[in-house]
Amino acid sequence: MLLAAVDYYRPDSVAEAVTALVDNPGGRVLAGGQSLISILKLRAATVDLLVDVSRLEEIRSITALDDGSVRIGAGVTYDEMAHSPELMAAMPAVASIAAHTVDPQVRNRGTFGGNLCHNDPINNFPPLAVALDATMHATGPDGDREVDAAEFFTGYFSNALDRAEVLTSVTLPALNGREIGYQEIEIGEAAARAVAVVAAGNGTITEARVVLGCLAIPARRQAVEEALAGAATTLDSVAEATSGAGDGIDPLSDPDASSEYRQAMASVVAKRAVMEALGGQHE
Amino acid sequence: MSSGYQQDITFTLNGETVTADVAARQLLVHFLRDDLGLRGPKIGCDTGHCGACTIVYNGKTIKSCMMLATQADDAEIETVEAMAGESGELSPLQESFRQEHGLQCGYCTPGMLMSASFLLERNPTPTEQEIREGIEGNLCRCTGYVNIVRAVQATSGQEVSV
Repeated sequence: MLLAAVDYYRPDSVAEAVTALVDNPGGRVLAGGQSLISILKLRAATVDLLVDVSRLEEIRSITALDDGSVRIGAGVTYDEMAHSPELMAAMPAVASIAAHTVDPQVRNRGTFGGNLCHNDPINNFPPLAVALDATMHATGPDGDREVDAAEFFTGYFSNALDRAEVLTSVTLPALNGREIGYQEIEIGEAAARAVAVVAAGNGTITEARVVLGCLAIPARRQAVEEALAGAATTLDSVAEATSGAGDGIDPLSDPDASSEYRQAMASVVAKRAVMEALGGQHE
Repeated sequence: MSSGYQQDITFTLNGETVTADVAARQLLVHFLRDDLGLRGPKIGCDTGHCGACTIVYNGKTIKSCMMLATQADDAEIETVEAMAGESGELSPLQESFRQEHGLQCGYCTPGMLMSASFLLERNPTPTEQEIREGIEGNLCRCTGYVNIVRAVQATSGQEVSV
């Protein structure tokens, strides 16, 4: 057996899952398992009880609300996001990102909530959640609470939830005319990644949000955002405004890419993401 | 509701109902191969990268090394063993793999067939790019993928163009 001995429990509700996690200090939530099973194989974490939430219907729906926001259940798979009529209508860019996550088999099993909670620096949805100002909905022994995406990611493989809390859904606020750009450099899973959310009119950027991924905590680049606001929607203008996107970040070095390389690529992916959001040429 | 270090599971495997008692820590691929004797799903990497263990779980392809055996409970599972006819005649996809030399050592082939079949079910006439994306989760160290792409094109009735 690759895995150490472990207990397994498949609750019928989020409430039952929370109770099991409270009762078992070594309990962990198992969602799609596309990261956690690997961790268990490596015996890199000690888990006494797996609480399998992957079949809980109450966390498996996507709802588009009248105000333009979309609420995505934490147990929705990437493949379900990719094919959701609600998500494709309200935020086609998010559906498209889901449609290109890893590979078909992982998309058929991996979940939106698992991707966010695990917060592996190579995961693609943490920077998106921060860029969109998502709200994370969790249920724990003390009831329901909401956490802003900006406060949710607390470090490598870490999030703001207590061990006995379960992420149940995520609200992505309305885009209100803003467009999403998402760019990465694919070395390994990704050496660098940026998400831009941009509004523009009459050849001028009116509002921009730029967040880098591939970091312990997705990094909002406020200086870049300020430089973009009021800038022309041309490649030269965007390149100049995003040139400092990598300033002050401290990416991981690993066999796929060095810290220096990742930092150098930050301005490249930031520029490309903004240009994509503007519907323009990247190069 | 299911709980415990040992789990009683009942599921459908290639159309037959299977009941078993499995350890909670057992991977699905090990259960299929070692306990049920299905050697179609292969173990290539053990890390979820190679796709040789790909099976269909409730209608969608998954890597059976990335799931627990107990998670098969109440599910419908298909393996490559169900692909050929009862008397052993190859499916059109399998026949195309043979005709186009879409395999060499054959180790990736069961997983490749499952992914290609899933792709064609959703998209009966995929472009070359869509074929390559459809088999992105399956590694082949022999063919360079070209003949696999040709086999999928041939199965879909399209011109073999790579």
